[in-house]
Amino acid sequence: MMHVLQLLMDGLIDGGAYALIGLGLSLTFGQLRRLNLAYGATAMLASYLGAALYATQRAPAWLVAVTVIVSATLIGWYVEWMCFARSGQESEQGFGPAIGAPIAGADGREVVALASSFAIWMQLEQLAVNLLPQHLNAFPSLAAQQDWVIDSSLGELMVRPDRLLLAILAAVMVLGLAVWLERSRTGLSWRACADRRLAAHLVGMPVARLQTAAFAAGCALSGFAAFAVLSLDGQVTPMFGMWVLLKGLVAAMLGGLGSVRGVLWGGLFLGVVEAFAQASVGAQGREFATYALLFFVLVVPWKPRQALGLSAGLRG
Amino acid sequence: MNEMVGAHLIGLSSDMAIMSLLALSAYLLLLVGKVSFGQQAFFGLGAYASGVMSAMFHAPLLFALVFGMGVGALCSWLVALPTMPLSGLNYAVATLAFGEMARVALSLWYWQIDLGDGLVGPAAIDGFRDIRWLHENDVSPGQFFALTMFVLFCILILMLRSEHTRLGVALRMTGQDETLAATQGINVSRLRLFSATVAGALAALGGGLYAHRTTYVEPAIFDPMLGVHAVGYALLGGVGTALGPLVGVLFDLGLLDATHWFSGWRMVIFGGLVALFLRWRPRGFLDERLVHRFGSMFNAKRYP
Repeated sequence: MMHVLQLLMDGLIDGGAYALIGLGLSLTFGQLRRLNLAYGATAMLASYLGAALYATQRAPAWLVAVTVIVSATLIGWYVEWMCFARSGQESEQGFGPAIGAPIAGADGREVVALASSFAIWMQLEQLAVNLLPQHLNAFPSLAAQQDWVIDSSLGELMVRPDRLLLAILAAVMVLGLAVWLERSRTGLSWRACADRRLAAHLVGMPVARLQTAAFAAGCALSGFAAFAVLSLDGQVTPMFGMWVLLKGLVAAMLGGLGSVRGVLWGGLFLGVVEAFAQASVGAQGREFATYALLFFVLVVPWKPRQALGLSAGLRG
Repeated sequence: MNEMVGAHLIGLSSDMAIMSLLALSAYLLLLVGKVSFGQQAFFGLGAYASGVMSAMFHAPLLFALVFGMGVGALCSWLVALPTMPLSGLNYAVATLAFGEMARVALSLWYWQIDLGDGLVGPAAIDGFRDIRWLHENDVSPGQFFALTMFVLFCILILMLRSEHTRLGVALRMTGQDETLAATQGINVSRLRLFSATVAGALAALGGGLYAHRTTYVEPAIFDPMLGVHAVGYALLGGVGTALGPLVGVLFDLGLLDATHWFSGWRMVIFGGLVALFLRWRPRGFLDERLVHRFGSMFNAKRYP
């Protein structure tokens, strides 16, 4: 009983980190209707820059954090310029595919943007590896030294306070962003651009600029998430880019890409499933569970409205 | 010295021919309007299946390759059944997920039998060693290269010839506009399933050849980067003709990788080029327009 509770809690705490990672991806997708596959590589290159600064200058953690977030934003701009800059043009005229409509052939701009962001992924990853060729690179560590042990009449529960804090932070950020999107004027304009580009343009919104801002915000979030996750591990490896993309993608797709609150539920669900898979099959079972979950989410014919897979527009 | 250079060239050319098969498999799916990031899974399944046949059951090479192709085609068909109806984006992510599922499954697969001189067979994460059919039957690298080129040549001729048949036109039409194709009486979903099945078989054939060339495969080889490269070759070379993927392979493996001029920066250049190409030339170097212009140059006399 206590074992199950422990697994459940570990899963939920891990899931918080996944939600934080998926947040930027979901925000970008909701705004541009394009999946940014270079998302993980952006976070990886940014954290490699941070790690390089830490290794050469012994920079303090806050400076590394600022470096990671700023460079993620700058790399994100480059990614947007290479892959997504023209993405809105066909729908700017109002003739583009309706939101949520099936995507046309390989020359449909969605799929082209997908493929070119994949190419940029390879590029950024290679740049990161060229920067720091070792497999393990030190990263400023903020990990707690001791675990909390909760004693109760049924047994002991182990909690890592740093990870718990990260999960709480993730939940606060997700819910805060959701409320901000729903309540604030800027959030309203972002959602308007995502829902009806033409209408937003007609009422005088600078659509392209708002989209770039949302993209940059998504990338800054990815930089923040990368720093938060890596500072608990104290190291960064070349596998990090793939890890960020896959965990973020599964979390965001489970909750419906484009839905901000959905990322939180998706991430928590993924965390719990992984924790149980790891306990019953081992590390490879955990890996398999992630992909199997993603696969079945996509192919399952019945879906609750607006959750699982792609959702329509950007939602809080 | 010259012999070494020759051996190196033969090895490199064999690798290029094998990668071309994988790129052609990605091309077949691009043709019907789908981007698959999971073709490496069928490459890996083909490598394992044909390796099992030739190394564990002493089947002849050709039989092993055909068996691998069958396994690849069957798996590809089974995967395409639920995934093909998905939209382009969901399809791409679903194939990526399947590719990784297959990789993890292969790294869990342990099945070894004793053939007198030690254990042979897939050994989970340690990979599958001693696929030594070529050595046991005294096939030289040159002969193997000839076989690979012959296979690739036959497939290319077949694909180029079918370009102007009913099937070829229907495939291209499906990729360009599936609604229009459907209104012309084309069974779009059946055509896509067919395309995916053939693509799986092609990838598996490449995998079988790869396994016998290197004598050793491990699951880590079949990671998404392999499949991404295949799609990248097809997109860079162009989807206007089956020669397009070959141009992509020649450019990346033959120029960027083999010359070592850009060592360490190869992916930076290749990735950047693919992205730039997609931005200004979304259907690659040899796109339909260029192919048509070339074609009409030669056909000008026939159609005045």
